[in-house]
Amino acid sequence: MAKTEIQDLSVLIVDSNVFIAKTLSTILEAFGVRKIILCKTLGEAEKKFYNSALDCVFVDFIMEDRTGIEFIKKIRTNPSSKNNSDLPIILDTGVTDVNTIVMARDAGVTEVISKPFSPEQVLQKLDNAVNNRRDFIDVDEFVGPNRRRRRENHTEWEGENDRRLSATNNQTE
Amino acid sequence: MIAVYQQQTIKQNSLVLQMDEELEKQRDAMLARANNAVDKVADEFVSGLSERVGELGKAIQNNERETAAGIAYNLETEASTFGWPRVTRICKWLRKILSGEYDQKPEPEDVLQVLTTLKLMVADANNPDEQRDAELFKKIYPALNKTISDI
Repeated sequence: MAKTEIQDLSVLIVDSNVFIAKTLSTILEAFGVRKIILCKTLGEAEKKFYNSALDCVFVDFIMEDRTGIEFIKKIRTNPSSKNNSDLPIILDTGVTDVNTIVMARDAGVTEVISKPFSPEQVLQKLDNAVNNRRDFIDVDEFVGPNRRRRRENHTEWEGENDRRLSATNNQTE
Repeated sequence: MIAVYQQQTIKQNSLVLQMDEELEKQRDAMLARANNAVDKVADEFVSGLSERVGELGKAIQNNERETAAGIAYNLETEASTFGWPRVTRICKWLRKILSGEYDQKPEPEDVLQVLTTLKLMVADANNPDEQRDAELFKKIYPALNKTISDI
């Protein structure tokens, strides 16, 4: 993590499970993150979202009063004066079936981290969410990072049989 | 001229390498600090485990399904985070049956047997007995598998 210094991040953790929230905040503290806000309920988290400038949010999939997914949808569609709708959101979940992942993706989640998580995974997901941002889509049906992930390290084919070249040649002929 | 250019390139490359090594060292130190910190949280989890399984048992006995499912979910995710695989699977089973996600409705005796086993496994959580836990789990597995096939 180098582009955005990890120490400068302001991170909100929303988890009703005290131990998981504590584990995550302990990991982030060990990474050097100076500003960590812990919230046990989505109501508290909403207040923080509208009153504090944040760089990233970790939210649990299953919360007591509402699901974490609804909270994510709300953040995406109702940005605050402190935070834009493209704020990186990492969903932490113990439920990792395909339906949940699709639901999370369609709600506009930036990254999903499955429980149990290791410090290495937290660092990787955080780095990806904050420093390798995808294009942000804001249309009627969907608000969130582009659901098609960029393919890194795949250079485009530029050989003699490149069909684009022959198409351009045909046009000029 | 070429020799000077080559020397400069080698120098630059070694600087880049040094920077990479430095970043790598910083990253490793960061992760080591984080792993140590997680170990401390794990100790806290272990010291309160037996009491929380007791709370789960009470909620089940009082037929407080939602509360019990919540405790089971929390214990499941925590146990998996801190390296208690059998406790994780038992709590997953309890969460699922309490949320109505089963293939076949469990018999009350099966639930009682599973709960008693779980209590035994965590009774002295600071001194876990792997062999005993493996045997206990083997005994209850047919009951677990009968109600939820992919447990």
